[in-house]
Amino acid sequence: MRDKFLLAFRSIRERKARSILTVLGIAVGIAAIVSLMSVGYGMEEAITGELTGMADMISVMPGEIRGAHSYIEKGSFTDRDVSDLQRIGGIKEISAMTYDAAEVEYRNENVPIFVFGGDTKELEGFYVEPVGLKEGRWLRENDYKACVIGDRVANDFFDEVIHVNDKLVINSDKFIVVGVFEKGDMLYSNDVDSNIFLTLRAAKEVLQTDEIKYIIVRVYKIEEAERVAEEIEEVINDNHGLDDFAMAMTMGSMIEMMDDIFNIIQGVLVGIAAIALIVASIGIMNTMLMSVMERTHEIGVMKAIGAKSRDVLSLFLLESSIVSLVGGVTGCVVGVIVAKVLSFLGSTASGLEIAAIVKPEVLLAGIAVAVIVGVLSGFYPARKASRMSPVEAVRYG
Amino acid sequence: MIHTENLSKTYMMGDVEVQALRAVDLEIKDGEFIAIIGPSGSGKSTLLNLIGCLDTPTSGAVFIDGIDTGKLSENGLAEIRREKIGFIFQQFNLIHTLNALENVALPMFFAGVGRETRIKRADELLAKVGLGDRMYHKPSELSGGQQQRVAIARALSNDPEVVIGDEPTGNVDTETGNAIMGILKGLNRDGRTIIVVTHDAEIAAYAGRTKRMRDGRVLD
Repeated sequence: MRDKFLLAFRSIRERKARSILTVLGIAVGIAAIVSLMSVGYGMEEAITGELTGMADMISVMPGEIRGAHSYIEKGSFTDRDVSDLQRIGGIKEISAMTYDAAEVEYRNENVPIFVFGGDTKELEGFYVEPVGLKEGRWLRENDYKACVIGDRVANDFFDEVIHVNDKLVINSDKFIVVGVFEKGDMLYSNDVDSNIFLTLRAAKEVLQTDEIKYIIVRVYKIEEAERVAEEIEEVINDNHGLDDFAMAMTMGSMIEMMDDIFNIIQGVLVGIAAIALIVASIGIMNTMLMSVMERTHEIGVMKAIGAKSRDVLSLFLLESSIVSLVGGVTGCVVGVIVAKVLSFLGSTASGLEIAAIVKPEVLLAGIAVAVIVGVLSGFYPARKASRMSPVEAVRYG
Repeated sequence: MIHTENLSKTYMMGDVEVQALRAVDLEIKDGEFIAIIGPSGSGKSTLLNLIGCLDTPTSGAVFIDGIDTGKLSENGLAEIRREKIGFIFQQFNLIHTLNALENVALPMFFAGVGRETRIKRADELLAKVGLGDRMYHKPSELSGGQQQRVAIARALSNDPEVVIGDEPTGNVDTETGNAIMGILKGLNRDGRTIIVVTHDAEIAAYAGRTKRMRDGRVLD
């Protein structure tokens, strides 16, 4: 057996270029599987992670969501609604917010922009912590004519870029910009990038409204979120004398609504893995078939000098397994590196923190695919050649 | 002793049937040096391949030491090729990734001979064919004549009774050809049966007996 190993190693080493190419052929396929799967898992984890971070949150809106995209507003909440909610058990924090479109002027340009007002502490937790500020600082409760603007407001909406200490006119009131948000990622860009944030007091004044359009509630225990949400709806519906005035949505139900998205992600993952697997297998088969077939002559010579079919076959299978194993391991290493690079690029591009997740079972499966497919596709031509009469095989090449 | 009975071989060349060998009866005694001579296409290589158990006949039989080789299994044939026969090809057919010593040792490897014995014997055989100083050279680093001498050493590796050469001097110059035939002559003197196929009458002259072939038949 030791001699066979030596002979197999010898043959691999002596055919350096061929062996390296075969190893590469196998490695590329395996690297594709490993990197795509790892990035895929990372993406899935990044999105669920982001959502579960907000699992203690209940969004309360005066209206209902119909279908996937339409929201029908039925009015607004009152201060009484907010104070009544404080009676419900299990609630940690309540944050009332208002928003509306306002006319915003900057250096003689007018653009309608959504203005958001709310408890500064709450907004900080919801938006500033995950998204971050590029410039300046966040609002303080005692700020009055101060605002923080989203990335697109600062960079895209006006001809000139807005910076900290620039002045905006919002519905004819002057405000000073104290902070600019970073660009929000997939989950936040809708809420942050195109909005201007004020204190609740300033927002009510500038929007000339006492209406509360949005309440965010945080609960102590995530498992109580559903119950609290139901009670919130009851209390507010009672206040307004309607059955379905308020809609309280827990993150859990948001995640349920996003189930479709997760199913798609899962499907894409499986699809990617399947394609990578097929591509890898065909690549391995091709390289292995070629590298064994071109040695039909050598197999013939071995048989002519007295090797049994079995001797030849075991020698070539040993060689195939060594090459496949090296290819598989190389592929795993390359795949992990590629996954890290891809997830880094992906994070930079999307703003969403994606860390490639390298699962050991993916690595093992990658190596197993390499060895199994490699050995099988080496086996076929080796067996064919070893069954030829020596004369026939020697005539090859 | 080797003898053939009614030995025939038919090939299909596309749709055309080629009768390479037609009912050949031939007897080769132990210790004989026989040359089979004939133009190309006369069937001499086919005959040699059948005697050397590299190919199977369409009909008829080859007997080696009384054994009907047609009745042997794949493995049985491999065993005969390994133990009883040493084959020398016109194209040398050395394994180009292995050096001279390893090439010579390879048949012993397949015979299950231990590593040390293999190396010792391969060493001796190479010295015997005059390549003691070329043992670690690859075939590509050797001349045609040197490669053929490695091939002869390889053919002797498992100490066979019969050495078969298919145009063994076909790819070397006349001088080297004579040297190779000299080695074969020496092997014959040691008691081995030598069967050589050639189209060169000068080469055939080394043999004790010459048989002519034409159109798949052995002429008397």
